Amino acid sequence: MKKLFVTIVAAFMLFSCGQKPLYDYRNYDNTTYSYLKKNDEKADQNLAETYESIIEKPRGERNTVPPGIYADYGYLLLQLDQTEKGKKMLAREIELYPESKIFIDRILKKLEE
Amino acid sequence: MKRTIIIASVFSVLIFLSSCSFNKSLKKDVYKGFYDEEKLSILIMPPVNNSTKVEAKEFFHTTLNIPLAEAGYYVIPPFLSLEILKQESAYDSENFIDGNLSKFAEVFGADLILFTTIHTWNKSGLASVVIVDVEYTIKDAITSEVLFNRRGNIKYDTRVSKGSSGSWIGAAISLTANAISTAATKYVSVARKCNDYSLAPLPKGKYHPNHNLDQEEYAGPAHFKANL
Repeated sequence: MKKLFVTIVAAFMLFSCGQKPLYDYRNYDNTTYSYLKKNDEKADQNLAETYESIIEKPRGERNTVPPGIYADYGYLLLQLDQTEKGKKMLAREIELYPESKIFIDRILKKLEE
Repeated sequence: MKRTIIIASVFSVLIFLSSCSFNKSLKKDVYKGFYDEEKLSILIMPPVNNSTKVEAKEFFHTTLNIPLAEAGYYVIPPFLSLEILKQESAYDSENFIDGNLSKFAEVFGADLILFTTIHTWNKSGLASVVIVDVEYTIKDAITSEVLFNRRGNIKYDTRVSKGSSGSWIGAAISLTANAISTAATKYVSVARKCNDYSLAPLPKGKYHPNHNLDQEEYAGPAHFKANL
């Protein structure tokens, strides 16, 4: 009886509120905060590592790279003078999320100017 | 046996009521604009900080991306968009919150615009407890109509680390980060929990398995108080 009770409660909790996250962001919140606030070499490096980790091994329910990650990584690379790799990342954002095309194309066009 | 099942059922309902937001209004009525026309992409505007905590703006800005993406939306890249907003002298969101937003739709390809206003950020008598009054407004980028508005008075005890809702691994890292506890890490957690809690009733977007299937769920109150 005790088993049945535990099973019912566990199943209810699981189905009523439980939801596996769509994406895995690693330590995104803290590294982005440091990047925004400190804006030094170490913060840039930590953020680049976070982006690379998310891109190389995407996890979560969708098992893909979350929205904006390729593009923001591309932007960071542009700041670090890695222009070609940065542009490649921006293009990947459009491939994965075509709704980003209006904005990203505008950025790519600016880079060509 | 029958009695046990009844007790288990009552207990389950009580857990449900205490763990999920509960309000009589349904999402399909309160957030009608999300269901009438598909909304896919959302632009995060830099938060408006009316509090005395200077860093609150960054605490909130860096933690808004995850709950929106986890709700199934395409979030316009937050740092790249921030750079463009700065270049276009649109960094001060308070100048745009009541205006025409169609230019943002044109430049960013955004369907929705999120404005966050931090009204107050105070520590209680205990240094570890933070009380935040924060408001979230999501507007239609084309019509500028308000589609979502919630304002919460949220009390959060930073001694109780609850990790990142967007990541199982992130939760573990966050716990470690809190163990070594810097003030910034603690306050990033405050903003993250405020965002997660307040944006939880947002109708699910295209990339969420419950997209368009959550219309009968409760919307949650527009004004609320919460202890997290």
